[in-house]
Amino acid sequence: MLKNYFKIAFRNLWRHRVFSGINILGLSVGMTACFLIFLYVRFELSYDNFHSKADRIYRIVADIKTPTETMHPGGPSWAVGPHLMGGFPQVEAAVRTTGDELLVRKGNVKFQEMNSLFADSSFFQMFDFKLVKGNPHTALNEPLNIVFSESAAKKYFGNSDPVGQTVLLTGEGFTAKVTGVMKDIPENSLIQADMIVSMNTITRKLNPTLNDQWGNYGNRTYVLLKPGADAAAFTRQLPAFLEKMNGTEMKQLNMYPTLILEKLRDAYLRSNRNDSNSGNIRNVYIFSLVAVFILLIACFNFINLTTARSAERAKEVGIRKVVGAGKPQLIRQFIGESVLICVIAFFITLGAAALLLPSFNLLAGKTISKGIFDNLGIIGLLFLAATGIGLLAGIYPALVLSSFRPVTVLKGRFATGTKGILLRKGLVISQFTISIALIISTIIVYSQMNFMRNQDLGFSKDQEMVINSNGDPAKETFMHAIAAIPNVKSVTMSSSVPGGGNMGAYSQIQNVKGEMQIANLDLYFVDFDYLKQFDIKMAAGRMFSREFMTDTTQAMILNEAAVKQFGYRAPADAVGRDFDQWGRKGKIIGVMKDFHFKSLQEEIKPLSMRIEPTGCNLISIKVSSSHLPATIAAIENKWNTLIPARPFDYFFLDEYFDKQYRSEQRFGKLFLNFAILAIIISCLGLLGLASYSTMQRTREIGIRKVLGATVPNIVNLLSKDFLKLVAIAILVASPIAWFAMHNWLQDFAYRIPIAWWVFAVAAVLAVLIALLTVSFQAIKAAVSNPVKSLRTE
Amino acid sequence: MIKIHDLEKIYRTEEVETIALNKLSFQVNEGEFVAVMGPSGCGKSTLLNILGLLDDPDSGSFLFNNIEVAGFNERKRADLRKRNIGFVFQSFNLIDELTVFENVELPLIYLGVKSDERKKRVEEMLDKMQIMHRRNHYPQQLSGGQQQRVAVARAVVNKPKLILADEPTGNLDSSNGNEVMELLTDLNEQGTTIIMVTHSEHDARYSHRIIRMLDGQTVTENILV
Repeated sequence: MLKNYFKIAFRNLWRHRVFSGINILGLSVGMTACFLIFLYVRFELSYDNFHSKADRIYRIVADIKTPTETMHPGGPSWAVGPHLMGGFPQVEAAVRTTGDELLVRKGNVKFQEMNSLFADSSFFQMFDFKLVKGNPHTALNEPLNIVFSESAAKKYFGNSDPVGQTVLLTGEGFTAKVTGVMKDIPENSLIQADMIVSMNTITRKLNPTLNDQWGNYGNRTYVLLKPGADAAAFTRQLPAFLEKMNGTEMKQLNMYPTLILEKLRDAYLRSNRNDSNSGNIRNVYIFSLVAVFILLIACFNFINLTTARSAERAKEVGIRKVVGAGKPQLIRQFIGESVLICVIAFFITLGAAALLLPSFNLLAGKTISKGIFDNLGIIGLLFLAATGIGLLAGIYPALVLSSFRPVTVLKGRFATGTKGILLRKGLVISQFTISIALIISTIIVYSQMNFMRNQDLGFSKDQEMVINSNGDPAKETFMHAIAAIPNVKSVTMSSSVPGGGNMGAYSQIQNVKGEMQIANLDLYFVDFDYLKQFDIKMAAGRMFSREFMTDTTQAMILNEAAVKQFGYRAPADAVGRDFDQWGRKGKIIGVMKDFHFKSLQEEIKPLSMRIEPTGCNLISIKVSSSHLPATIAAIENKWNTLIPARPFDYFFLDEYFDKQYRSEQRFGKLFLNFAILAIIISCLGLLGLASYSTMQRTREIGIRKVLGATVPNIVNLLSKDFLKLVAIAILVASPIAWFAMHNWLQDFAYRIPIAWWVFAVAAVLAVLIALLTVSFQAIKAAVSNPVKSLRTE
Repeated sequence: MIKIHDLEKIYRTEEVETIALNKLSFQVNEGEFVAVMGPSGCGKSTLLNILGLLDDPDSGSFLFNNIEVAGFNERKRADLRKRNIGFVFQSFNLIDELTVFENVELPLIYLGVKSDERKKRVEEMLDKMQIMHRRNHYPQQLSGGQQQRVAVARAVVNKPKLILADEPTGNLDSSNGNEVMELLTDLNEQGTTIIMVTHSEHDARYSHRIIRMLDGQTVTENILV
């Protein structure tokens, strides 16, 4: 019996190759998209889940209330971690980490290790970063102990055993001992490092009082609670702890921190205090939803095409019933066929996913999976899903087909019921609703991207080449040397450039009432030429100038946002007021216009600038666009002569700034791709339906032509019905898409309004695509000879 | 074998009520070959559908082998049908996706006959119908006469007691038509009861008895043998 079912299923598929093709293709495309999204979502959800103690690890972050604002640093002060250990029985371990860029040297091999991490000694006990060499309990116990990742170790030591050998940390002038080699940290971890240096290096050698600094931030702190400990109860004890340890200082500075526990597992997706390497639970939801939608569209196609073809299968059903088939046998047969189609689609999906995975990894910007065959469990799951889809999508057509009465169908008096037609129309409307909503969303996502890239940022980011001197003593000599290169227009240095991080400083500024108001101001250290080179305009007062001796120590420039915060209505009113910041006191000499020193997702914050050459590590070089390679070569040449100890690494500011939008760009690209897929699948379904409905109306078309209908009449007749469905879909999709995108845009401080034309464009696009799909069939039917179509009856 | 009494079947649409069978009564004995004749719309096909257990009468009694089957549900009818009744249609009604062999095999599959046994019986039957050489062809590749022979083979492969034929020669030329009628006569001689609906006086003469119908009722019965 089963053999007979398979046989007839295969022959049926083969005989109606085009429609089987459409059916299988639609299903495969849908399943492939869905599968890739599933891999992506699974990867996003897997961050830091691999630590065996992940359930007990928390990241401590702080909210700091000052009279004017609340700050949200990504960690508590340096003193918190070490003091938690003694103070609370439920704390098993506390680990602080802080990132750095270290210059590492072994003989002639030198690298600027951008991903260096200082970490407390129990780091390898708390986290499951496996050591391939060395002892996890002691590897970070002593100052100047280093653990390299396997790939970093290879750079310095090749195949020899690094443990026990030494490297030079040139910047600090220390010799450090390698105490271990760890497996490369997997991509799905928030903690990323190529080398880990013992925290003692800082707390015992570089900054011996750090463990007691309650007002100094800039580290991440993780705690491991004992099994069974109540995190909420622990959190409730923390305010009293801070009050006891640091109450006096809090009052004195008028800064009141609250400590908050974030579950390590949730930190990647649900915390807004991550660095650039951060996920977004909302995007995970959006993509899951898109995956479900695409799968739905594919299933609808399947149901649509199968029931539409029921008229053809009716005769077979009738004969089978006459020769003895019962309804259950027929239901089994048709569900079997639908499962078979899904299983074929499963194999195509498997191949397509394997082929597409590398590009998808590229698109997603990370290795979400090395290969789909890595994990047989997932393939099993996909197979189960495929069979499940086959069952679900097959049930309705199977019920319809198996309930045909043989008397009716064998007499040829068979007509598809209005119920079936309504259902098919409903499914087509939902398919196009989803597709149109995706088109609208894609247009809006891209418009916002475009807006952010072309928005006037208030400074010039073009042709700015930036090199990090890492504070090398020769940096000023180097600047003078390259200023003489013909295509170098100007050179300046600063502590930060737009798009990167910057310091925040505890400051007191004289406000409009004349009081010294406390604020945490963002701070750039710059030199005299910075504002000019970056083309940042002044709103009042003057720029820093070499003509004023006091500018190097007693001058500050604020931006308009800062001036507003201190209550001044006009920028000019702030000029000449007092400031007190990090031990420097002086006057505000000017107010610069606001410029976007962070991404457009963020509001422009109050910013201060001061002259402080020792704090300026970044050298920005304005170069002419002509002869760029030669210019870069000349600059590199000077670098290698003057600062030979450090590798020559540079970036261009415009690219660097745009990197902030990388995740949004990826989001947009992924969205675009899936929107296109959804449209393709919907159109495949429409194509199939259109050709069936045309086929069923062959006789009607023949009669109409005999009675004088022209080709356009017929095309119009056949397309009208489908266009109505698309029109309804447009009406349903528009408000849904508006609502969703309105919410999405709220994440951007600077955003586009949702324009009416977006909906118009999507509507026209959908209608055109649908028309193209349908009219192909319609024209074919309309130009055919009526004699032939009438004879088919 | 078949005994119907006061059989009634009425088709209703929103406005019109059509009486297809009007208190029809007759009897067919085992081994008989009966032809049913009458103009289009007289209720022949309705009668055949009810006799074939494809359709249910609205009222009246239908004894099949002394069992009352009027009012049987679909499952029971299907079960009775596949064991006892074979069908031959005017338009052959072969499944296009199956080969000659597979079409004939189909009833045996639904009866649950084992594969070896099926093969034996199908081949026997194809041999008897002289279409063995066409066993792997598809219906579209055969002539009308050959297709009807396959249909007859399929109808009798499970050795039914009753064959219902609905204008079996309607789509055939006269020589092919005669061949099919010979086949039916042979089967009848081997003991199979046959009820045949036909428009053709020529074909009707192969039967033992002709029942003439008009407006859902029997008008006359001619006994030929």
